[in-house]
Amino acid sequence: MRTGDAGVFYPDPARSWIAVAPVRFVATLLLVLLVYGFSIYFVDFDLGRLWSGLPKLAHWAAKAWPPDARELGVLIERAIETVAMAVVGTTIGVIIAAPCCILAARNITPSRLLYTPMRWFLNTLRGIDSFIFALLFVAAVGLGPFAGVLGIGLHSAGTIAKLWSEAIEAVEPGPLEAAALTGANRLKVISYALLPDILPNLTSITLYVWEFNVRSSTVLGVVGAGGIGQELKNSVDLLDFARLFTIILIILAMVTAIDQFSAWLRRRLV
Amino acid sequence: MTALSATDPAIRIVGLSKRFGDRIVLDDVSFEVAAGEVVAILGASGAGKTTLFRCVTRLAQSDGGQIFLGEHAIRNLGGRQLSIARGEIGLIFQQFNLIRRLSALDNVLVGRLGEVPTWRVMLRRFPQRDRQLALAALDRVGMLPYALQRADILSGGQQQRVAIARALAQQSRFVLADEPVASLDPQSAKSILSILRDIARERMIAVLVSLHQVEFAIQFADRVIGLRAGRMIADRPAAAFAEADHRMIFAT
Repeated sequence: MRTGDAGVFYPDPARSWIAVAPVRFVATLLLVLLVYGFSIYFVDFDLGRLWSGLPKLAHWAAKAWPPDARELGVLIERAIETVAMAVVGTTIGVIIAAPCCILAARNITPSRLLYTPMRWFLNTLRGIDSFIFALLFVAAVGLGPFAGVLGIGLHSAGTIAKLWSEAIEAVEPGPLEAAALTGANRLKVISYALLPDILPNLTSITLYVWEFNVRSSTVLGVVGAGGIGQELKNSVDLLDFARLFTIILIILAMVTAIDQFSAWLRRRLV
Repeated sequence: MTALSATDPAIRIVGLSKRFGDRIVLDDVSFEVAAGEVVAILGASGAGKTTLFRCVTRLAQSDGGQIFLGEHAIRNLGGRQLSIARGEIGLIFQQFNLIRRLSALDNVLVGRLGEVPTWRVMLRRFPQRDRQLALAALDRVGMLPYALQRADILSGGQQQRVAIARALAQQSRFVLADEPVASLDPQSAKSILSILRDIARERMIAVLVSLHQVEFAIQFADRVIGLRAGRMIADRPAAAFAEADHRMIFAT
């Protein structure tokens, strides 16, 4: 029996049997296998079908070269429209989120009664994708980017308000308390003591959502809600792969540029 | 060292008690602090110092007794009146509680938030009178050269000076300092405590400060109160504080 420096033997602290390594390992393995078994069953996973579809894909890929740049001007205009949709949609989200996030942050909410319903409301907005909102708005206000903007706005409002209220809840309580105890009202405390410390954080969150919205705007055209996705869908419908290839290249360039720009801006903020 | 006499005690605590469930945290605590006087509360962690401060600012409601700050009977106030009373209390915290990304000057202006109209606060357009008060307060604590420095790059001692300036700008009649030097080196601690003592004299502010270092209490306070497990076990002029008191307060 080996003992420690003091000549005392320390037995290992007793664990429950479920915490013993081999038992835990086997249980985890079984659980993971079960999840995969069910999931593969449900998705009709079939490599054979992929194999037989490959020649078709190869044929299309061959037809896609060289990319068709004849409509480059129009396509770039559509790409700009996509970014613009993300800008306006995110802004709508910010405008809705600003008052909501104050009600939804536990440490500054003026009313405990409104806190929970506000959280539910925001979770609903966040739970419904901009794509689904856009589908509804296309039916309500007609085809075009305006429907897409409204969809992005509502979905982003939920996301932004949730992330903002979490940033607000993470703030140190001391300085807020110090300001509140001078007799300052809530509006003064929020605008003077809270905002300066979290503004970089809030801006960073907003940029991140905007960047995300540029990516999601690219598909909104599929439901007729404007942007470059509309051109993408037209090309697929017409099996015009050379044009499709150009569109995909434009999307790639646009998304990469926006991501880099937004990441650069966010780095400078913090 | 004698405190400047004042006609009425500025802070008067009478028979204060507070319990959390079955645990008695403050048991029949009574003492007074005159205007211009510095009273130190000594006690080990958990003796009830912080609870006492929270009762005075009404962040916690005491279960019995009364607290008078000047003419305000703190336990009975609510709403607008409570906020007026709180406006007269300058608070100094162990962790300074400055707004990190704001300048020292902007932090001192927090002391003016209660008086300045909301729209001016939101636009950061403080009237000249308030800016003058803030600059004078910074000057008093020797931080005028750092007025435009961001709070989070100042040293701990400098941050605590700014916090004192905030209380000065607030023109408070009462200053409550909860372990103001617990996270400072001895040198900064001494300078903070001597500033507190000096402003108490100059502006006839009643200063109540909690400490856990006996030598600081004896050196900087006029009177020392010993708190142990929620009970007051000593209330003496600092000069009369004896080794026996020390042992009683910190005995385990």
